Amino acid sequence: MQNPSSHKRNKMLPVGHYRGLGAWTVFFFIFLYLPIVVLIFYSFNANRMVMNWGGFGFDWYLKAFNNDDIQNAVWNSLIVATVATAFATSIATVGALVLARGGNFRGKTISLGLITLPLMVPEIVTAVAVLIFFSAVGINWGLGNVIIAHITFCIPFAFMPIRARLEGMDTSLEQAARDLYASEWETFRFVTVPLLMPGIVAGAMLSFVISMDDFIITLMVGGAGSTTLPVYIYSMIRRGLTPEINAVSTVLLFVSIAIVTAYWVVSKKGTD
Amino acid sequence: MNLWLPKSAAGKRWLGLAPSYFIIGIFMLVPMVIMGVFSFLEPNPYGGVKPVGSLAAYVKLFFEYDLEDNLVFNPGYINIIFRSFQLSFGATLLCLVFGFPVAYYITLQPENRRNFYIYLITIPFWTNLLIRTFAWIIILGRGGVIETPLLAAGIIEDSLRMMYTDGAIAIGLTYSYLPLMVLPIYASLEKLDFRLLEAASDLYASRLEVMTKVVIPLCKPGIIAGCILVFIPCLGAFIAPNLLGGGKNLMLGSLVQFQFASARNWPFGAALSMLLLSAVVIMLIFYARAASKRASMEGSD
Amino acid sequence: MIAAIDIRGVTKVYNPTSNQPVKALDNVSLTINDNEFFTLLGPSGCGKTTLLRLIAGFEQVSGGAIMLFDEEIVNLEPNQRPINTVFQHYALFPHMTVADNVAFGLERLRKPRSEIDATVERVLNLVKMKELGDRRPNQLSGGQQQRVALARALAPSPKVLLLDEPLSALDLKLRQAMREELKQLQKETGITFVFVTHDQEEALAMSDRIAVMSNGEVQQIGGPTDIYEHPVNRFVADFIGDTNFLDGEIVSFNDDLVTCRIGAQSMFEAENSGGHSIGDKVTLFLRPEKITLSAPDQASNVKTRPGKVANIVYLGNQTAYTLDMGDGIELTAQARPREDGKLPFAMGDSLAVGFSARALRVLAQ
Repeated sequence: MQNPSSHKRNKMLPVGHYRGLGAWTVFFFIFLYLPIVVLIFYSFNANRMVMNWGGFGFDWYLKAFNNDDIQNAVWNSLIVATVATAFATSIATVGALVLARGGNFRGKTISLGLITLPLMVPEIVTAVAVLIFFSAVGINWGLGNVIIAHITFCIPFAFMPIRARLEGMDTSLEQAARDLYASEWETFRFVTVPLLMPGIVAGAMLSFVISMDDFIITLMVGGAGSTTLPVYIYSMIRRGLTPEINAVSTVLLFVSIAIVTAYWVVSKKGTD
Repeated sequence: MNLWLPKSAAGKRWLGLAPSYFIIGIFMLVPMVIMGVFSFLEPNPYGGVKPVGSLAAYVKLFFEYDLEDNLVFNPGYINIIFRSFQLSFGATLLCLVFGFPVAYYITLQPENRRNFYIYLITIPFWTNLLIRTFAWIIILGRGGVIETPLLAAGIIEDSLRMMYTDGAIAIGLTYSYLPLMVLPIYASLEKLDFRLLEAASDLYASRLEVMTKVVIPLCKPGIIAGCILVFIPCLGAFIAPNLLGGGKNLMLGSLVQFQFASARNWPFGAALSMLLLSAVVIMLIFYARAASKRASMEGSD
Repeated sequence: MIAAIDIRGVTKVYNPTSNQPVKALDNVSLTINDNEFFTLLGPSGCGKTTLLRLIAGFEQVSGGAIMLFDEEIVNLEPNQRPINTVFQHYALFPHMTVADNVAFGLERLRKPRSEIDATVERVLNLVKMKELGDRRPNQLSGGQQQRVALARALAPSPKVLLLDEPLSALDLKLRQAMREELKQLQKETGITFVFVTHDQEEALAMSDRIAVMSNGEVQQIGGPTDIYEHPVNRFVADFIGDTNFLDGEIVSFNDDLVTCRIGAQSMFEAENSGGHSIGDKVTLFLRPEKITLSAPDQASNVKTRPGKVANIVYLGNQTAYTLDMGDGIELTAQARPREDGKLPFAMGDSLAVGFSARALRVLAQ
């Protein structure tokens, strides 16, 4: 039997759906990615004047690669990030093992708060505090100062994925190992660590990215000669806009994106 | 379930936590205490401090000396502080208005698509904030991405002068921390039982009422978390006000950095930092109280 | 009889454009009368919940019409339909008290405050939850939550109340108690109830009429006795209650009885419901409770056949006996325990299995 109203049927949205949400989201992503796109785009700008488009060219990438200061800054960034990551990840791993596996002990909440403290405090405050500390105590280890500061604020970033992985881990595997006569150390070495690896790798990646990207703390804590890439970029911006900034920035951008994507892939694999 | 080596369980625990305590204790907590101490010392004109106690830094917040060495109320720094709160509020509000519908939209998507959206949101967040904010100079600046086509099309005649304004800072701040608003709200919404929306509609709630009476009250924890995660960094932000606001429109962050760079007034910088830190601590305490109150009220949700 | 809800040729297809569309409902038509306790009964996936959601307005029909007291409602949003739903897992608003939950619909309808308060009290009384108005849902037990969900849906005095398997989350005793209460409630309020369940016992106990569904189609509509005693096809006979099925062929007719050959050579007489001819392949069905079991030497007022006990399942108030009737035919019957609790028959016993011809009915194949 023909229903009388089929020709009237408009597309009614189910409960909870609203028109325009999709468009709003698209606009949101445009807003979010606009600077990134602009940056990449203008890095190929052949014109010296950053704002005026003068044609397509790789000139600035070449210039940037041949720039000693830039090379130095990149080198510094890498050293700091690598060393800081190594330490931060190790420290975070042992800390996560205790906090995720140690049950509920008296200092648990405080310990948790302490480890995540650098996340809560505004970066400028951390920068000032560390700067003052090094000055007061008289520690002048150049890049070493920067590395120490980086280790400090990288710990929570390495901590979170590791702890998440630990909490999601199936403890019955370790129990099975013990059941099959493995000692505590053997269980740790042959079962816990391999299972935990994706979390540790994820934590290391996060820590690396955070360290590479850090600006304000490095700016204030580092002296001359411990210029990292973001600090150098800042000085370039200060001095005047040259398109080399765009080229350098774009490279840094892609490095970050590559690492974050790798992090996502590792995290996804880890949850299987 | 402790799988570690020597000693007692407690011994193992402290072994594992010791490095963290050491690093963060010595390189964050102790420095903050020293910073507090420094704020009560006299500045050394060559940088650093003189070991002489003084309240000058805190006085400087409100007063300055006029030509006759009298203390006169100086609204300058108060204005900057006030403005920092204002801009932070504004940016937080913008993030909320902009970000909430997006978090909601993502929740409506099928499961497999959602992760992709979250991934897309996370990427910019992990890339260098400095260079992304720098890009806004290119976008907002004279002859930049926004102005050039508008000028060429004849829609405007002269530069919009968007740079070096509070508006530019607000945009910069909003942009910087937008993901921090979206993610907690999404986490809250994800747990929402959509049957509740159907029940509300079944009971005559309009589409708007479904949102205001059911969705929003139930994702309040996420909204609050998002606001705090945005507001706190905004207060102490340096990059956005420095790059987009120029020398005229200072916020707390740039003001503090200035004390350690050119102005060489470390105690004052320390005092400002203490102010910032106190504001953050107060907010976090309020948040913790509110969170535990809600938890005890609603039981297990 | 006023028709409260008239379902006309309703079809629902999910993902119509994908390469795997799912037809949840196929040209379903039925009428639900005013003041009736109507049940949609069937296994999961049969479409009963889909139909309920279409009536409520949470889904759109792919084709067909739904009339509410002679008015087309398919184009109305859920909040425009004077129909309320009791959800399977209650869907109580966790951030509101019991009283606020119940008042929700009335507030949305902008009723005056005094009316709202009075109605909330009345309705909470009705479901025996008067004292608990200030509690939150997470402080209530499952049974209490269910009552609140009921009260909430009744408060706005809907024309029709939809109930989506509301008792499935409750344990047995509570479920049985609630059956009584729901039936009472429907009588008292006079509201048309449309009840969805997969529990056939529930359906038989509570309904005025039942629609048995399977695979998106209505198999049979009728009162509980009709459905139970005169199922129209094998599915309905099998889904409701326990059944013995005997497949065979019609051999002859005599008056109101029809004789069928089951197996190789066994002859069974069944009630002739008409519409069959000699040679038709049919299935006979026989309810276990219509079979009497006795020792072979006992007198019986029904014709008996010999059968041997092949399996015994103890169920407490009775025991199910599987009987080997020879010729590859098996029947299941029930018997009560003796007064001393011992089982009346043992494995391998030869019994006289008795049933009247009228107890066997014919189903088309």
